[in-house]
Amino acid sequence: MKPHRRKKLGIIIFIAAGLGTAIGLSLFALSNNIDLFFTPTQVAAGEVTPGQRIRVGGMVKEGSVEHDQDILEVSFITTDYNHDVRVHYAGILPDLFREGQGIVAEGSMSPDGTFIASRVLAKHDENYMSVEVKAALDAAGNTTGMPPGAMR
Amino acid sequence: MFEFQFSSLSEFLQMGGVYTFHIWAVYLLFAVFISYNLLQPRMVRRHFLLEQKRRAARDEELSSKTKTQN
Amino acid sequence: MWLWFAKLGSPRWFYELSDKWLPWLYVSMLILMSVGLFWALLIVPEDYQQGQTIRIMYIHVPVASISLACFPLMAVAGTITLVWKMKLADMVAQSVAPIGAWFTGLALATGAIWGDQIWGTWWAWDARLTSLLIQFFLFIGVIALRSAIDSPDAAAKACAVLAIVGAINVPIIKYSVEWWNTLHQPASNFSIDPVAPNPPEVWVPLLVMISAVYVFFAIALILRTRNEILQRERRSQWVIDLVTREKNV
Repeated sequence: MKPHRRKKLGIIIFIAAGLGTAIGLSLFALSNNIDLFFTPTQVAAGEVTPGQRIRVGGMVKEGSVEHDQDILEVSFITTDYNHDVRVHYAGILPDLFREGQGIVAEGSMSPDGTFIASRVLAKHDENYMSVEVKAALDAAGNTTGMPPGAMR
Repeated sequence: MFEFQFSSLSEFLQMGGVYTFHIWAVYLLFAVFISYNLLQPRMVRRHFLLEQKRRAARDEELSSKTKTQN
Repeated sequence: MWLWFAKLGSPRWFYELSDKWLPWLYVSMLILMSVGLFWALLIVPEDYQQGQTIRIMYIHVPVASISLACFPLMAVAGTITLVWKMKLADMVAQSVAPIGAWFTGLALATGAIWGDQIWGTWWAWDARLTSLLIQFFLFIGVIALRSAIDSPDAAAKACAVLAIVGAINVPIIKYSVEWWNTLHQPASNFSIDPVAPNPPEVWVPLLVMISAVYVFFAIALILRTRNEILQRERRSQWVIDLVTREKNV
């Protein structure tokens, strides 16, 4: 490589690295404003101020879903298997919502420690398989390599 | 592993019934995307060739005219 | 090696070589695409959670993953343009931008349709979704930048710099699902075991579709680059000869 080309390449790499760091840092700062979710453990640790609009994500605890038929309200516990948060929600649930499923709820904490959701989204996990494979896995009791969300 | 999942054409077009629209919308968008990106460059090429042929013809006409004038 | 590199940089050489490649690429795309679509639409079994909607994955994942390959390609072409001033590299960089915009747009659109069903929302300001949207705007930005600058040389340099800088977004998109708590699930781990999550019956057709879309990407890129070569070299003798030779337009 000719010296002036090498110099040019050096300058470009330097500029790219500099700008890249700047963009990376600003994106990192921005990431606080991107809709990320808090885990129930973070909620329990007091990282969330009541009334602040946030998202909480976790698994729907088995046997915790209570439907109120009259006012279409649903209440359930979302858990990360360390801590629980009770969620109240009035509205339409996504089809994938079921016990043991990962969800992300959007809303705010009320002062009594329950979460008032204005929207509930289902979080899908990265495991795809047919009904037959799932049944065979369940029969064998083999759930190795599966995250908690895939276990039902 | 190699079994057909649908027993009839209408069952296939239904895609389970609930999300027929979602699934077929994705495949339709994909078809549009493929055809546009294969056809658009052909149109551009065609346009370019016609344009260049026209220009060549015009240049030839122009040069033959100047020849007769002289 | 340097001779080969210089030869590869010759637009005419690339044009004539790609004449020979294109039929093969078309044939392999036709085969891969037919097998892949047939498999994805008819053979893949229903997912235990998503049912038939799993078929959306066979479009969304190939398109999204190749959209991530477009930007690094543009950045490499930009670097070659800046350092070695290779003409062909800038033509490739210019051609890949609209294709990348299409791929990213389609990844966002198919993701929105899928999310509407699975998540219960078509859009969220999630790290994965937001960073992919940024990539879409970066492609639009590169296209706009080129048309905004009159001097072709200056435009090529500016676009190359933007492509190199913008490439930093690619690892952010890729790893966003691991770095942050996102609504979008992490990448799947394929399993060779037929009785396991993500068994071969799920991912083999996906690989077929990914290769089909890769071949399609190569064709789309070559077609656009060839047009760019003709346009920029239109005053050179070989293009003039080519135009006269071309009878059926």
